[in-house]
Amino acid sequence: MSPRLKISSYVIERLSKIDTTESTGCLYGLMYDGTLLVVGFSLESFETETEKNSYSQLLLNFPAEIELCGVVKFGETLTTDSTTKEILQDVDITDNPLIIIINREKDMKAHFIVHDKFEETKYEVFSPEELWKQFLHVRLNTVLPLRCEATIAGVKNSLQNKRKKIASGQVSFHIDSTQVYLFGVASDVGLTGTSTEATVGELVDSMSPEQPSKKKKYNINNAEILPVSLILKVTKDILSDKLVKTAVKMMTTQRKPAFYISMPLRIDTLAMIHRNTKLLDLYIVLVEAACRSLRLMESVLIEQLGQEGIGDGGGLRLPETFHYLPPEIGHFITRLIPKGKSEDCMQKERRTLHEQLGLPLHRPVFRRGNAFIDKSGGYLVNPHEAMPIQASKSDVTVALVRGRYAYHHYMQDNFNDDGWGCAYRSMQTIFSWFRYQGYTDVEVPTHKEIQQCLVKIGDKQSTFIGSKQWIGSTEVMFCLETLLGVQSRIIFANTGTELQSYAPELVHHFQTHGSPIMIGGGVLAHTILGIEYNSITNETRYLILDPHYTGAEDITTVINKGWCGWKSSDFWNKTAHYNLCLPQTRPAI
Amino acid sequence: MPRTVYSPEHCLQYLEQYASKEIFAIGLILGQMTDARENVIHLARTPEEKGSEIGIESNYGLDKSEIAKNLSSVSEAWIADHARHVTRMLPGGMFVQGIFVTSDEDVFEDPNCFSKLRSTLNHIYKGLSINEYMFGNCPYSNERLILHMSTSTKVLTCKSLEVGGLNKNTTLKPVEWKFSPKALSWQRLDCYYEFDEIYPVIVKNSGVSVKNQFQQILESAHKIIESSVMFIDGELKDGSESLDQLIKKKKTKTNTKLTQNEAPKSMHVSLFVPYENTLPETVEYLECEGSIHFSGVVSSSVFIYPKATVKEAIAAVKQDIVRSLASRFTMHCDALIDDNLLPEEKICFNEPPRRVLVPVGSLYLCDYLFPGEAPAEALLSVRELLDLKITETDVICDVETPADTSEFDALDRDASSEELLATPQEASQFMYITGLCFAMLVLLVSIIIHYYDGIIQVLSKIFPKS
Repeated sequence: MSPRLKISSYVIERLSKIDTTESTGCLYGLMYDGTLLVVGFSLESFETETEKNSYSQLLLNFPAEIELCGVVKFGETLTTDSTTKEILQDVDITDNPLIIIINREKDMKAHFIVHDKFEETKYEVFSPEELWKQFLHVRLNTVLPLRCEATIAGVKNSLQNKRKKIASGQVSFHIDSTQVYLFGVASDVGLTGTSTEATVGELVDSMSPEQPSKKKKYNINNAEILPVSLILKVTKDILSDKLVKTAVKMMTTQRKPAFYISMPLRIDTLAMIHRNTKLLDLYIVLVEAACRSLRLMESVLIEQLGQEGIGDGGGLRLPETFHYLPPEIGHFITRLIPKGKSEDCMQKERRTLHEQLGLPLHRPVFRRGNAFIDKSGGYLVNPHEAMPIQASKSDVTVALVRGRYAYHHYMQDNFNDDGWGCAYRSMQTIFSWFRYQGYTDVEVPTHKEIQQCLVKIGDKQSTFIGSKQWIGSTEVMFCLETLLGVQSRIIFANTGTELQSYAPELVHHFQTHGSPIMIGGGVLAHTILGIEYNSITNETRYLILDPHYTGAEDITTVINKGWCGWKSSDFWNKTAHYNLCLPQTRPAI
Repeated sequence: MPRTVYSPEHCLQYLEQYASKEIFAIGLILGQMTDARENVIHLARTPEEKGSEIGIESNYGLDKSEIAKNLSSVSEAWIADHARHVTRMLPGGMFVQGIFVTSDEDVFEDPNCFSKLRSTLNHIYKGLSINEYMFGNCPYSNERLILHMSTSTKVLTCKSLEVGGLNKNTTLKPVEWKFSPKALSWQRLDCYYEFDEIYPVIVKNSGVSVKNQFQQILESAHKIIESSVMFIDGELKDGSESLDQLIKKKKTKTNTKLTQNEAPKSMHVSLFVPYENTLPETVEYLECEGSIHFSGVVSSSVFIYPKATVKEAIAAVKQDIVRSLASRFTMHCDALIDDNLLPEEKICFNEPPRRVLVPVGSLYLCDYLFPGEAPAEALLSVRELLDLKITETDVICDVETPADTSEFDALDRDASSEELLATPQEASQFMYITGLCFAMLVLLVSIIIHYYDGIIQVLSKIFPKS
């Protein structure tokens, strides 16, 4: 019997928008409870002969449990060419590979292959809310020491041995900050610390301090992640028949002098699982996650070895793990990036990834700064998302900041700027946005650095440094240009009333660039995060982030007291003049 | 309330055998200290000293010239040496807890005797702290016991004295010494700790000596073992629970009937280590001239007072593994002729002695046998160091097995991707030859020791003194 089929609405959304010349793509999904859930796809370019860009390599970047499950064809008719057949043969997750066909009108039909025949099948659309509610991710962290000969063969062999060891059932896993341990086949117990019937979801609920009755918001920014670490059993099973009791001994083998590498392999890997998965079944999932991560590690190391050649002590860099959760894709992509390697050097790789995943080619998605799991440094990130979502109304356009930013406001960083630093803070918020979007690695500048920058470019006298002088939109523009190379558009409004006429322009700004806007002028500075515009009534509301907040980083206060919130056009002083700084983004990957 | 120490009754007879013959004797008190109770397991008289100091092993039991007749003639260094050797034989959780004396002096009143006792205890303390991985000094208390039986009055007195402190004017504290008629039943905990590590031999480092390499292995093993999580019978236990509670719980769980006098079953211990990062966060390039494969098991059997806590048992197991490793390495290095890790040969084996168990009272202590040594060797150490007679069949030799060469071949093949300079055949031949040579040597030495008196007599007959 063929499985039931569900398709993530992320996939449907992406497929409906895609504009590609490729004829074929790969589908990725996972099985749960007799259902095949399609969570992602990639486009296959068959022009390049190199195996590296193929789906099997790409799959290593997906969370464990997600596997190749079928093919998507762009065209009118259902035919299978040789490449399609090849891909279909690699489908292991189900006996009934899936073929989705999409014609020019974006009509989508799904077929399972049953006994070499196509059977059209119905499918259910899986909403993002359901996805984040029913699925969670386990994140395995461990460090494996790598000591091997500094050759491709040496690395391959060593990593293969590590995979063998992990797959042999000798390793165990510990779910962080619990008493729950998972054991492999080498042990007769599979699980301790909880009931053998317990599910992952139950464990996660029991760990969270909140009452399960309290309604949780399930969305892409609330993806639940269960941290797990790997432990190794160092004692042998006394009752085992295979117990070898040879006393400790040391063997030294002399070799020709050769170079060895010694480095820690930081494994940080994800697996996507349904909440109803039994904890007992998590063991194999984690083993697969660890092995997948090691395979990715191997390919990254070997690529470096091949490229730069080692033995001279240079070249090889530690791979660092970054997890990405691009909002349009709706599943994690994990990348290993050599430590310290500049983003510019890796543009080609990122372009390939964008193309494979059908992502737009005009803004960064896979730079270090875009990573999902990121330290915010104590600042509130995207406080506006904590507000209740408003029902959409017809004729009303809502355009918001795209991606993440940090809320910078008065008194932060142990620095008293109460009364004069609001534009500086607004500027810092904008800066953080550029960092989070991956446009830059430059640290968010302090007040002093901002002042130094303005003196350096000749905008201000040197006495400006260390002063408490205000800055305005043009200064923000100068700094962004100098420190980030970002151009800004300045909008000048003579009065608060006139400001309203720029509403369509602001909508356009958020839709195209998506960066926060700094607004200053005759009065206080603020950050605009979004706009709501009714094209019939001209009624406009602004999503304002107020840098004059002096309290602690408490999201409840920030939202309830309106430090971040929607303001009507009365918010602006009718008689004062306003300057807006709209930072522009340039196409980049 | 004074400190109370519980001792098996045979210790009384042991002391009386010396006291009744009015023999001066000094020796070590071996025992275990837990929060629940302090137990003595054995008293071991220090063997008589031999004049010269050429390797302690051969010294013991050969010479009868210098018998200490009273406390003042006792060598503190000699007793401290005894304590170091005995510590190797103790499982984790057991320590040299003090000294006993049978003499006609009133050792606690006589200022000369008292200062001698104090300096002896301090010598022992210092001797045991040389190698931290031996866990020679009981970590729970610095108060050491002095047990005295007067040969004239047969009165038994026990007191304690602080050691290792800077305070020179430490005072004696009273200790209550109690004999328990019934043999104590110990809770046994067993495990096999497995090693399987490969290290590069780095020429630039000075670490090409066997001793250094062993020291490095010991350090890293200690670190890893300290960070490990211990399970008892497959489960994580609450550290504050007592061991006998675990048994009771299990009994009620499985609903088996409690039978009287049933010896408590051994508990199986498993250790889990987090993959801990001891490497620096960089890629290191090392020029190396070979690899070291350290592999095999350390068998561990510890004996704990059943009312002791899980936490105390865990500490004992961890001590035991590290102590056993340290003991083997010390013994191996003491017997080494060539300390070079990379000698002329392409492949070089270092086989430290393996552990065997020897019965003492109702529990087991241990001894170590070099490759080729027979279990009878253990009888010698037990007799000399523990002042105890056991038979060859008492020695449990199969807790660990000596390495066999075929295993080395197999290990060697998968140990490296690189081609070996030496073929496995060469390696095994080398092994056989060294093994055989060693066995022959051991045989020869033991014959000489065994028939020492006879040989001397024969020789003196053949070559009569002119």
